[in-house]
Amino acid sequence: MQKFLRKNAPAYVFLAPWLIGFFLLAIFPILASLYLSFTQYDVVRPPEWVGIENYQYMFEFDYRFWKSMQVTFTFVVISVPAKLIFALAVAMLLDKGIRAVGWYRALFYLPSILGGSIAVAILWRQLFDYNGVINSVLRFFGGDGPYWLSDPRYSLWTLIVLAVWQFGSPMLIFLAGLRAIPQDLYEAAEIDAAGPARKFFAITVPLLAPVIFFNLVLQMIEAFKSFSGAFIISGGTGAPLDSLLFFTVYLFNEAFSYFRMGYASALGWVLLLIIAAFTAIAFWTSKYWVHYENERG
Amino acid sequence: MSRLTRRRFIGTAAGAATLAAFGRPAFAQDRTRIRHFWWGNPDRDERTFRVIEIFNQKHPDIEVVGETLGFADYFTRLTTQIAGGNMADAIQMGYGVMFEYIQRGAILPLDDHVGSTLDLTQIDESALQAGTVDGKLYALSIGANSHMAMYNTRLYEEAGITSGDGFDPYGWTYDDVKRIGVAVKEATGVAGTDDNTADYQNFSDFVGQKGAELYKADGTYGVTQEIVEEYWTIWKDIRDAGATPPGPASAGLVGAEMAQWGIITGQSATSYAWSNQLVGAQELMQDTLGAAMYPNTPEMIPGSIVQPSQFICLSRDTVDAQATTTYMDAFVNDPEMTAVLGLERGIPANSQVREALVPTLEGAQALSVEFFDNIQGKTMALPPPPPSGANEVEQTFERIAVGVLLDQVSIADAAADFLRQAEAILRRAS
Repeated sequence: MQKFLRKNAPAYVFLAPWLIGFFLLAIFPILASLYLSFTQYDVVRPPEWVGIENYQYMFEFDYRFWKSMQVTFTFVVISVPAKLIFALAVAMLLDKGIRAVGWYRALFYLPSILGGSIAVAILWRQLFDYNGVINSVLRFFGGDGPYWLSDPRYSLWTLIVLAVWQFGSPMLIFLAGLRAIPQDLYEAAEIDAAGPARKFFAITVPLLAPVIFFNLVLQMIEAFKSFSGAFIISGGTGAPLDSLLFFTVYLFNEAFSYFRMGYASALGWVLLLIIAAFTAIAFWTSKYWVHYENERG
Repeated sequence: MSRLTRRRFIGTAAGAATLAAFGRPAFAQDRTRIRHFWWGNPDRDERTFRVIEIFNQKHPDIEVVGETLGFADYFTRLTTQIAGGNMADAIQMGYGVMFEYIQRGAILPLDDHVGSTLDLTQIDESALQAGTVDGKLYALSIGANSHMAMYNTRLYEEAGITSGDGFDPYGWTYDDVKRIGVAVKEATGVAGTDDNTADYQNFSDFVGQKGAELYKADGTYGVTQEIVEEYWTIWKDIRDAGATPPGPASAGLVGAEMAQWGIITGQSATSYAWSNQLVGAQELMQDTLGAAMYPNTPEMIPGSIVQPSQFICLSRDTVDAQATTTYMDAFVNDPEMTAVLGLERGIPANSQVREALVPTLEGAQALSVEFFDNIQGKTMALPPPPPSGANEVEQTFERIAVGVLLDQVSIADAAADFLRQAEAILRRAS
């Protein structure tokens, strides 16, 4: 023990700031929220133990919980594939060796840096406002746009477009993946008279599978956790008609509008379990469609 | 200079860290620093910061620091501060939500300070009554308000509508709203009125106008299916006549901040709000605003209330109750400070302050006083404080009403849905 300390103490001293942050700001709140999820806690009075009542209520009575699940799943199921397809398409275009490709890369990455910010969500609201830019353009061409944001048939789509627009980081990862595919495979395919579609499905997709898988998992988790866009555009409530009631927005409302911190903590843990389950499913299916080049088998 | 060894480096760094952690500069101790947190608008914020400056000059031993947010974010921040145990010393409260905070123990009673730091001899009895729960005083009224319909006088005049000539601002009906709204729309192209389908404030007035009450004595919801249906039918009728903006446009404005109101953006000629907001709204406009009561049914049963709607309270987390109540006292009594505050938060509860203010007022502030003189005898008695969960009932009403605005659900179904949910919310909260 003495020896261990003498040898490693300086390392722990230097690690201390990070370790303290990790335990104080990550582990402790996580455990606290697990405890709170079994209590009724209105912030001012101390938490009161209620067992699994919060979870019971959620699954049996809370129709807004189910509504928020429906909204969140719709968002994930549509926005994630759309974003990945778009990111891959742009990456393949940039991979062609156009001039000033560095500029384009930076330009396309820009939305990803800005996208999660409050400012962009507010800008988005202006763009899709009834008298906003989108409808002005439509009117210029003789059409008439709908009320994008206050009509529940369209509101979620504005957020899906916002999500797809932030395709920068999966694009960069795809680009790196594309660069790693040996060119001689394509040359060999061309000699065998393979067309672009054939080359794409027979070479690009299989060799890119690990990268696609990585992006899929990452984007899926991000989509489940998506918050700020829906919060700003719906004015914090999930309006209109709960069509923007993302799981996270509902959680926020339960916690900060109605003081049900215990219930909100339970919601948070359910979200964690959902994300974990879907990540596990993705990993399980990956056995069947993701192959690593250096695998021996 | 000696060589910098690793041990010496760690020693120096640790020393610097200790110094940073414990070496508080001494001058911070001279004055008691207290925080005042309120929700506001640009005009109110400017007035309040000026008042804080005056107070700080008069009290060398106390330093007040102001913090402000918009109404929508105010309570979110307050909740996190309650959880963290670092609420501001003096916080602003509204009549609707205040009782939940008092019941939960976030606000301290003021009785121990009355007579020492707090002088309440000039404050109206009714205002003190409104801030009292179970015989203890918890809140000082900083302005009485009522519901007010604000209209753009230029647009009304262009449509040939003037006060007194077929338009009684203190006794108009929903039929008048429709007739005038259509006239304004036809003459100016601007919708004559906001659509109040999803406005709980108007709905609560309507409940009173039908002789019912929002909450029964046992805390259950007192509104019937017929009342909800009639309310939404009245506004649908006004909307279908073309007097309001289209339904989807109104659906996007539910719970909007002042800057998005129809009268401010020019989308409509009449918006409905709290009377004190007339001052702030006029600041954002070029056309002159007129003031009217909320519309009524032909029976003219009063539905609006005059309520001390804004309060200043002593928070549970105060660092110095003595200094904070001194500030609160000045906020309602000091002639110089109350002159700056004016009527922006509502009609002051201090009779001397009122008397000093009234002769100096002009524009929107003078109109506010005129409005209050004219609604005397046309309002109903203050109902008992709303039960826990009332806030959630209100938001549920707004949410379901959007379905009515968008024509996605029949009025009868929406009304039944709302009442079912309101009951469930109140059961869960009690």
